[in-house]
Amino acid sequence: MSKKKFEPNIVAFTCNWCSYGGADLAGISRIQYPPNAKVIRLMCSGRVDPIMVLEAFKNGADGVIISGCHIGDCHYVSGNYRTQIRYQALRSALQSIGMNPERLRLLWVSASEGEQWAKAIAEMTEQIKKLGPNPIKAGG
Amino acid sequence: MEDSRIGVFVCHCGLNIAGTIDCEAVAKFASTLLGVVYSTDLLFACSDDGQDAIQKAIVEHDLKGVVVASCTPRTHEPVFRKCIEEAGLNRYLYDQVNLREHVSWCHMNEPDRATAKAMELVAMSVERVKRLQPLYRDTVNVNPKVAVIGAGVAGISAALDLANAGFETYLIEKRPTIGGQMALLDKVFPQNDCAICILGPIMASVGQHPKINLLTYSEVDDVGGFVGNFTLKVRQKSRFIDISKCNGCSECESVCPVTVPNEYEFGMAQRTAIYRPFPQAVPNKYTIDKLGHASCRIACPAHVNVQGFIQLLRTKKFNEALELYREATPFPGTLGRVCTAPCENECERGKYDEPLSIRNLHRFLADREMKSGVSPVETLPIDKEDRIAIIGAGPAGLACAYELVRLGYPVTVFEARKKAGGLLQYGIPEYRLPRSILKTEIERVEALGVEIKRGSRVESLEQLQAKGYNAIFIATGAPSSRRMGIEGENASGVFYALDFLDHVNSGKKVSLGDRIVVVGGGSAAIDAARTALRLGPKKVTIVYRRTKREMPAIPDEVEQAEKEGIKIQFLSSPIQILESDGNVVGIKCIKMKLGDIDDTGRRRPVPIPDSEFNIKADTIIIAIGQEVKPTDLLSELELTKWGTVKVDPQTLQTSKESVFAGGDVVSGGTTVIEAVRDGKRAAKAIDLLLKGHDISKEQFDVLRPIVSVQVDEVRMSREPRSSMPKLSIAKRKSTFEEVELGLSEKKALLEAERCLNCAICCECMQCTTVCEPDAIDHSLEDEILDINVGAIIVATGFKIHDPLATREFGYGTFDNVITNAQFERLTNAAGPTHGKIKRPSDQATPKRIAFIQCVGSRDRRFDRDYCCYIGCENSLKQATQIKEKYPDAEVAIYAMDIRTHGLGYEALYHRAREMGVIIIKGRPSEVEEDPITKNLKVYAEDLYTGERLETTYDLVVLATAIVPQDDMKSFARMMKLSTGEYGFLLEAHPKLRPVDAFQDGIFLAGACLGPMDIPKAVAYGKAAAAGAQSLLAPGKFLIEPTYAEIDTELCMDCDLCVEICPYSAIQGSGEERKVMHELCQGCGTCAAACPKNAIDVNHYRQEQILPQIEVAAKFIGGDSK
Repeated sequence: MSKKKFEPNIVAFTCNWCSYGGADLAGISRIQYPPNAKVIRLMCSGRVDPIMVLEAFKNGADGVIISGCHIGDCHYVSGNYRTQIRYQALRSALQSIGMNPERLRLLWVSASEGEQWAKAIAEMTEQIKKLGPNPIKAGG
Repeated sequence: MEDSRIGVFVCHCGLNIAGTIDCEAVAKFASTLLGVVYSTDLLFACSDDGQDAIQKAIVEHDLKGVVVASCTPRTHEPVFRKCIEEAGLNRYLYDQVNLREHVSWCHMNEPDRATAKAMELVAMSVERVKRLQPLYRDTVNVNPKVAVIGAGVAGISAALDLANAGFETYLIEKRPTIGGQMALLDKVFPQNDCAICILGPIMASVGQHPKINLLTYSEVDDVGGFVGNFTLKVRQKSRFIDISKCNGCSECESVCPVTVPNEYEFGMAQRTAIYRPFPQAVPNKYTIDKLGHASCRIACPAHVNVQGFIQLLRTKKFNEALELYREATPFPGTLGRVCTAPCENECERGKYDEPLSIRNLHRFLADREMKSGVSPVETLPIDKEDRIAIIGAGPAGLACAYELVRLGYPVTVFEARKKAGGLLQYGIPEYRLPRSILKTEIERVEALGVEIKRGSRVESLEQLQAKGYNAIFIATGAPSSRRMGIEGENASGVFYALDFLDHVNSGKKVSLGDRIVVVGGGSAAIDAARTALRLGPKKVTIVYRRTKREMPAIPDEVEQAEKEGIKIQFLSSPIQILESDGNVVGIKCIKMKLGDIDDTGRRRPVPIPDSEFNIKADTIIIAIGQEVKPTDLLSELELTKWGTVKVDPQTLQTSKESVFAGGDVVSGGTTVIEAVRDGKRAAKAIDLLLKGHDISKEQFDVLRPIVSVQVDEVRMSREPRSSMPKLSIAKRKSTFEEVELGLSEKKALLEAERCLNCAICCECMQCTTVCEPDAIDHSLEDEILDINVGAIIVATGFKIHDPLATREFGYGTFDNVITNAQFERLTNAAGPTHGKIKRPSDQATPKRIAFIQCVGSRDRRFDRDYCCYIGCENSLKQATQIKEKYPDAEVAIYAMDIRTHGLGYEALYHRAREMGVIIIKGRPSEVEEDPITKNLKVYAEDLYTGERLETTYDLVVLATAIVPQDDMKSFARMMKLSTGEYGFLLEAHPKLRPVDAFQDGIFLAGACLGPMDIPKAVAYGKAAAAGAQSLLAPGKFLIEPTYAEIDTELCMDCDLCVEICPYSAIQGSGEERKVMHELCQGCGTCAAACPKNAIDVNHYRQEQILPQIEVAAKFIGGDSK
C-alpha cells in the first residue's frame, strides 16, 4: 500500500426500491459526498446473506453498509426485519473475530431521502478513517 | 469463464457523465479486464446511434454479455435490455453501471477519484455479467377489470375513461358520495364557473354508467396479488339504509334529533345523524352515522338508551323520550330518584367538565308526565299461552313482569306483603322517593296486563308448577339484616336498618332515644340516619370504619346527610355495645387506619391498638349489610354458601330448568338498577326457553362500544351540570317531604344540550317511523367484498390543513377568522348562508375582508416548506367574488408573493387588481380581536415600503395548506406504495413516470401525489387511466423471471424459508417442495436465510454477487489510476 492518505473502501448493499432510489436522488439533487462507497444493488436488503458481508471484509473492505427501506415500509413487507436480525448477529460475529463492529452499518434510507444517503456515506467515511484500514488487509 | 465475451459501453450522457468522469479512460480500462472483448465510449448510449452501436458490436464481436455504464438502471435498464434482445442476445445477459446518479453528479469536485470509482464499478459489473444466465419471462393473463380508489375529480375522470373504453371499473369511495373536494366548491378559478354545475352531470354519468360499479361509503381493507391479478378486500360500511329502497326524500332528516358539526360545511353548520352530504350527492341516498353504543348505555345495567332519550328531550319530544326510556325499564320516576347512576360515571362529558345529570333528566320526563296528567295505558294483547309466575314484586320481579307482558305472556306476580315495590316500598325513605311516584309506576305495569297478587305468599315451587305455570322467576330479595356479632347486640335499643326503615315506611311508631348511632357506610346507613333525624332526636352519628372516599352510599346523599347535621365518625369500628340493665347506653369503638387494598378494590381498615373510645347512645341502628332469609321455598333449590340462590350468571337459570332467579335473592343485596337488569335478563331467557331455544348458547345484551369517540374538544364550551334545587335544611328536620325538587324544563333542556352525542346516531328510531319506503334498518352490518382486478388506480386525494391545533392568527379563538374552505361554503348557494357572505360572530355582511396567504404552507415550522399551488388563485377568486357582490367592500390579500402560474391565472390576478383588490407583500405577524365588536386588527409590514400596517377588518380568511390524508401512511403500507418527504405518494419517476407507482399495475392520480389544481388532477386521472388501459388491453403481461428456485437435493426441509416468505410462495415438502413463480416477488430473503444454500434467486444468485463483492473489496479507492 502506498503512503497516500488513507481513503476507506466501503461496500454498500442497497435494496432496489428505497435505498438505491435514495442514492439516485442524492445524485439527481447534486448533493456532493465522498466517493468512497460502491453500491451493490439487490432487490431487498433481506437478500444480504451474512456470508456476503464477511466476504467483503475478508477481501479487504474497510467498511460495509447494508441499506434498506425503513422498518414497516419494506417493499417486500418484512424483508428488512430479517436484515435487522442478521445485522445484530453480524455485529457480534465481527466482535468475536476481533473486527470493530462499527465497520458495519445498517441504514434505513427511503427513496425520498437523498440527503440522508449522502450524509450517511460522509459520516461512514469519516468513521472508517478514524478506525483505520481493515486489519485483515494490513495483516495479509 | 474463459470464454466470456463481454462488451462494455461507457456513456458520456453529453457532459452529465463526461463532465466529471474521463469516459475514454474508463472504456480503455475496461478493455484490459479479463473476459472483455470489446469496449468503447458513446456520447449518448440510449440514443438511436448509441443503441445501433451496441447492437452492431454484439453481432460483430459475438458478445455474450453487455455492460452499459450510464445512468440509473431504475429508468434505463428496460431500454437497454430491449436493445440487446433485438440484437439476438438474451435480455438478462446485461448489467448496468450507474455512473451518473451514483458517481458524476455526486462527486463533481473530485474528477480523478470519480473516474477511479467508475472503473471499479465497471470491473464489478463485468464479473457479474460473466456469471449471468439467460432467463425467460413468463406470461400472465391480465384480469381486464380495474379498481379506482377515491372518487374525487381525478378518480372520476380515470373511471369514466376506463369505463368508456369498455373496461369494467370499480370506483371505491370512502365517503357516502362521490365528487371529492371539488363538489364542495362554489366557483372554480380562473373562469369562476360554478363547480357543481360542471361536476354534477359528470357525477351523475358515473352513477349511471353500466361499466362502473360504484362502491361508496367503502374502504379497502387489504390488497393482495400482483400486476394483472390483484385482489382487493373492500369493506362496504353499513349505511343502515337499504339503498335500493331509499329515494332520497329527506323525511328522515327532519325528525332526527341528533346534530353534529357538518364536515361537508367545514364545521360552519350542523348536520343530523342521518344525512346526505349535499343535495347533488351521487348516489342520492341517505347514510346513518353510527359509531356504536355510547358508554352511558353500556354502563347502565338495564342498557337504557340514554343518548336517545336525552336527544328526544332536547328537541322537546318529551313523550317520545319517555317512551324510549320505558323500552328499557318501567321506572323512569323511581329510578330517576334512587338510581346510583353508573351511567354518569362513564359519561364522556365527565372527561371535560362534569358528566351529564342523566338520572335527573329521566326523572324530569316522568315528573312532567305526572304533572300533565298520565294518559291512560292500553292493556297489551296477550297472545302467548305459557303462563309465568313471578315471586316477589320488587324491582327485579316487576321488571321481569314488564318485559314478559310486552312479549305477550300472561304474567302473575305473587307478593307476600300488602304493597308491591319490595325495598322501594319498605326500604327507601319517603323523602327520597315519594310513594305516589312508585305507586303510579307500578300501576302502569299492572295496567299493561300484569296481575299482582298482593298478600299472597308462595310456600312451594311445586304447588305453583302444579297450578300450570310454565316458568317461574324468583325475586324475593334479601330482607334480613346482617348481625355484627359483638357483645351487647341483644340489648334493648339495638335496631337493624332494614327493620327500622320497614317500620317507619309501614307507618308504625318507632321510639328512639335522643342519641342515635348508626353503624355502616352504605345507602341503608345513610337512609336510616336521615330517617332517624326526621323523627326528631337530638343527635345522630354514623360510625364507619373507612373514609368518605370508600363509602358505597351515593356521594350526594352523604353530603346531604352531613348538611342536615348528621355527624360521621370515619375510621372507627364498633367492638362492643355498652348496656346498663339491658338497655343501650353507648357504643365502644376502636380507631382504624387504612391498610392494603382488599378484593373489593378498597383499602382494608386495620385497627390501631389501644385507641378504643366510647360514644354515648340510647339507640344503635346497625346497617352493615343484608342477607337472604332461608325459607322453605328456597330450600327446593341449590343455594350458595351464603344462602343465596345459585344461578347461571348468563341466563339466571336455577338448578331447576324452568325456574329462574334474580335481584337480591341472588346477589345478596345490590342496587335497584341491577335488580331491574336481572328481571329483564330472566324475561329474555324465559322467552327463549319457552320458544324452545338452547338458552346456554344464546347471547344476551350485545352492545358495541365506540372505538374512538369524536369529540371536538377544542371548540367545546365548558359548562357544569345543571344543579338540582333542594328542600331547605330547616324543613327537612321535621318532614318526610322530598328533598330533591326536580329540574325545571329550562334546566332540563340546558342539561340535555350538554350531551356530546358520542355514538352520533342515538337509535331513537324516529327515522324508521317516517320512512315511507321502509328503507332504514338499524341492524345492518358492514359487508366485505372480494374484488379481482388487473390494475389499480389510487386517487385518494388530500386534506386541507386545519390551523386549529396551532390557533394560527387566532383561528378557533376568534369567531371571524375562517379558512378559504369555509369561505367557499359562505358563497355557495347550497351552503349554510345560502350564498350570502355573512361573518360568523353576528351574521353581518363584512365590508372589510383580509386574506392571509400561506397558512401552514411554505412554512418550515411545520416541516411543510412547499407551496400549496392553489392558494393564491383561490384567494384571488374569492376576492373577486366579494367585489362582484359588494363593489365597495375593502378587500386585501396579504402574501409573501402572488404565484399565478400558467395560462389564465395571471389574468385572474389582473382582474382582481382592476376590481380594486389590494395586494400587500408581507406576511402578517399577528391578528388581534376586539372583544366587543369582534372586529380583527391585522398587524403586518409592507415589504415594498417598509411601512408598518395596522388595519382593522370584519373578516379574516386564511389560505390554508394542502396536506396528505391522515391515513396516508397506513394506506401506503397496505398498498405497498412509497411516500415522499411530505407524506404524499411517490411516483416511479418525477418526470417520466408521474402516474406510475413503483409497483407494476398500480397507478397514481390527483392530489394524493401532492398539491394540484383541478385541470391537473383531471389530467393525472386520465393519464392513469391510459396507463391502466395499456396494461389491460393486451390482456397479457410478462413477469420478471427473477424468482427464487429450490434445489430439493440440498434442501433439508427445515422450513425456514416458508416461515420467512411474506407471500407464501414456497409450498410442498421434500422432493415436492417448490417456489410458486407467480407468487414469488424475488426479494431473496429466503436465499439469504437458507442454511444449506438450497434456495437461490434468479439473476441475484450468490455466485453472481460474491465475485462482485470481491472486486469491490479488493480495489482500493483512488489507487487504480
